[in-house]
Amino acid sequence: MIRSFHINSVVNRGTNDITNEGVLTVEESCLHDILSGEPLIENAGITIIPPGEHNIRTDTIMDIIPISTKVLGKLGEGITHTLTGVYVMLTGVDTEGKQTHEFGSSEGILAEQLCLNRAGTPSERDYIISFHVTLKAGMGQERPGPLAAHRACDRFVQIYREKLKKLKGEMCSERHEYHDIVRPGKKKVLIVKQVAGQGAMYDTWLFPKEPSGVDGGHSIIDLGNMPVLLTPNEYRDGAIRSMQ
Amino acid sequence: MGIGPSTKETTLHHFRDPLLDVVSSDEELDLLGVLVVGTPDDHADKMLVGTRAAAMAECMRADGVIMTSDGWGNSDVDYANTCEQLGIRGIPVTGLKFSGKNGGFVVENKYLDGIKDICKNAEGIESCIVGENNATELDARTVTALLKLKMRRNSPADK
Repeated sequence: MIRSFHINSVVNRGTNDITNEGVLTVEESCLHDILSGEPLIENAGITIIPPGEHNIRTDTIMDIIPISTKVLGKLGEGITHTLTGVYVMLTGVDTEGKQTHEFGSSEGILAEQLCLNRAGTPSERDYIISFHVTLKAGMGQERPGPLAAHRACDRFVQIYREKLKKLKGEMCSERHEYHDIVRPGKKKVLIVKQVAGQGAMYDTWLFPKEPSGVDGGHSIIDLGNMPVLLTPNEYRDGAIRSMQ
Repeated sequence: MGIGPSTKETTLHHFRDPLLDVVSSDEELDLLGVLVVGTPDDHADKMLVGTRAAAMAECMRADGVIMTSDGWGNSDVDYANTCEQLGIRGIPVTGLKFSGKNGGFVVENKYLDGIKDICKNAEGIESCIVGENNATELDARTVTALLKLKMRRNSPADK
């Protein structure tokens, strides 16, 4: 079961929290702890981007991430809480201005570089929290660099996951129950997803501890790029983290 | 070559993939699962992992496969091989892949006729606009319908 909690506004305020009224608060000082164990990251910042205010400059977009957490059970079963109305955008550059991209950079004016309303992008009504990382020189092109950026961003998201776990289920704005349905006698169909598995910014992780997370995940490169089978519910519960 | 910003499937895309919604809610289909396969650097490894994916589909007695890709160029070698390996095993395959004007298959074979180009950019290019050339629900419905047609053609009892 996935319970969604809608966020109406995101504001800079003294703590990193989610209120019962649907306000998400951001406090940048959390970066001190997050970055203390990341020697490859020169610095990072957090910017709140309200809906419609996309006429700002951005570094290349590495990922768009939902804020979701397990409340009961493991990935693919039990209960997941997720936020709607706000998504995290991870961007990357190094101290010499080299964008953290693999095959084309999306740096530029956000309004021109992000196509809204797709399954994988925010809608025009959503807030975006930009987590922008500056890596040490040259580190954006080596595997540990982008990984450090994803890991730092995941630690930031984890602060909200801990708050999201504690929100009361009956306060949710939407509730969806998903069952892996067997339909005997019907045509058996398999979805095959070919994913990135060649290197630094061309990687895909599976089975994180938290939905759409990094911590605890396994790189498909380290798995030899061999096929891995997911149940439909594991897939829709955030079993894949795009590490590009 | 690999994944361009406009074809990249973000973590959010995987979390709410329209293809999963379309196939899992179709009452005429029995969704077996989601098989995730990587794209190695080495050519022999590319052939190996795609062939293992096709062998798994065969062992699962899949009647059909829908295949997706979040990149283009070099990874077409993997994609085309997996489609061919499925085809050799008599398993109909349709799929979603960016082609546009600059991302046509770098290698081809006779099992790629059910692959739909997901290019949305008006000029048919890798625009570097995140999300622009991603698969949508309409794309998912198109390839699902096409697979049903192919499976019917492939099944003697239904002819």
